[in-house]
Amino acid sequence: MAAPDPADTTVIRGVTVRKGPAREACFTVVEENSQLSFNADPAYAKGKDMSERMRRNRVHTHMHNEMQSIEIAAQCIADFPDATWELRLELARQCWDESRHARMLLNRLREMGGDKGEFPVMHFEWNITCMVDSLAARLAIQNRTFEGGEMDVLKVHADLWRDEGDQVTAELLEGILSDEVQHVRFANRWLKRLAKDDPRTLLHVAQGIAFMKRVTAAYAPLEGQVNASGAEISETSHPSPTNVDDRRLAEFSEKEIADLLRRDGFGALVS
Amino acid sequence: MGLSVKDRGEAVATLRHVHVELMEMLAQWTPSAPEMEVKLLFGEHIWNVAQHADALGKRAHELRLPPQHSLPPVEPYAKLLAQVRAERDTARRLAAFYDALLPGLAKRYRDYLARTDALMDAPTVRILEQMLDIESRMVAQSKTLRSEIPALAKAERAWVDALVEQERRVGNLVATAGS
Repeated sequence: MAAPDPADTTVIRGVTVRKGPAREACFTVVEENSQLSFNADPAYAKGKDMSERMRRNRVHTHMHNEMQSIEIAAQCIADFPDATWELRLELARQCWDESRHARMLLNRLREMGGDKGEFPVMHFEWNITCMVDSLAARLAIQNRTFEGGEMDVLKVHADLWRDEGDQVTAELLEGILSDEVQHVRFANRWLKRLAKDDPRTLLHVAQGIAFMKRVTAAYAPLEGQVNASGAEISETSHPSPTNVDDRRLAEFSEKEIADLLRRDGFGALVS
Repeated sequence: MGLSVKDRGEAVATLRHVHVELMEMLAQWTPSAPEMEVKLLFGEHIWNVAQHADALGKRAHELRLPPQHSLPPVEPYAKLLAQVRAERDTARRLAAFYDALLPGLAKRYRDYLARTDALMDAPTVRILEQMLDIESRMVAQSKTLRSEIPALAKAERAWVDALVEQERRVGNLVATAGS
């Protein structure tokens, strides 16, 4: 595909990204973390705010992420009509999986007394992923990086909900996690295959990852910046530890997993 | 006497082409439709029509065509698909897809089933019967959604009827038929 039409792009913090997908009026779409609301209740430890409002916020965030994942997979199908059929089929299956996830989370949110649009949302993943014009780079960004990271998050969050006595939400997240493993795994497999067939794939992936890092840096909160709940954003940032078992199932190499563990501060265990 | 191998291969490969287009149509509409419930419906149906395209593509190979071979449909139907795909209003998209395109295809599957040898062409028969079942379920799901969210059911009746008629007038979808 060619680069996105300028009419389909927008500039956020000086970086040109793909304009967000369509949203109903009930959703408030924001462009910065500072406009989201997380972890405001001082009664809870960092990263463990499980107040009633924060529970709904957590489910709402997962739900919106899943909806965004449907849209990204669908846009890949639309943007790359010449991609190998088997790869398009994987993306089509992903559309179904993500739609089931979003549906289950919407149902759960409503059971908890919430509804779609209750909290602000961002299009961070879409903005970045759908800006790049290589399907391999999109797989590297969305499936391998964002969904790979989501595997780490979902494991931590499932435990968090279970510790809080909410077995229903914990099991829901674990069910979603097992599907996400497959989305990351097919991306890993296809990236290897595409790179083998055409070495230029690696260049496209490297360019895509560099773009992702540039946008992530541009979007990063400024020092001392607070979010919509009044909490300092740096205090709400708590990267989840690497989910080693699921990353193995998703066919990350042992070296890649070791690199992630070093990032987490467990270098002595893997060196 | 049923259809020849060539007739069957061309019909199957044409239906495959149509289903790939249906998949792309829903995929293109998913990010651009504002309504969340519609996105969730499309997400499931993208997978359904992709599976149908895949089954037809495998069957085309069994009928002496290359694997996953597609044949573009006749020009009027190709134009109809392009016209529907360009539609921007969600209610019209739903009506066009679920009230015109899918029911029209269902009639064509039945017509094929009536003409083919059910034993000789049993693998195609089985695929089409499964498609009839799943695509009728897709139509039912869209009707349920439109009854739950009435704003999605506001496509003008006359416009839908005209589209149904346009689809019906196309006749045989196979571009090489009779050649």
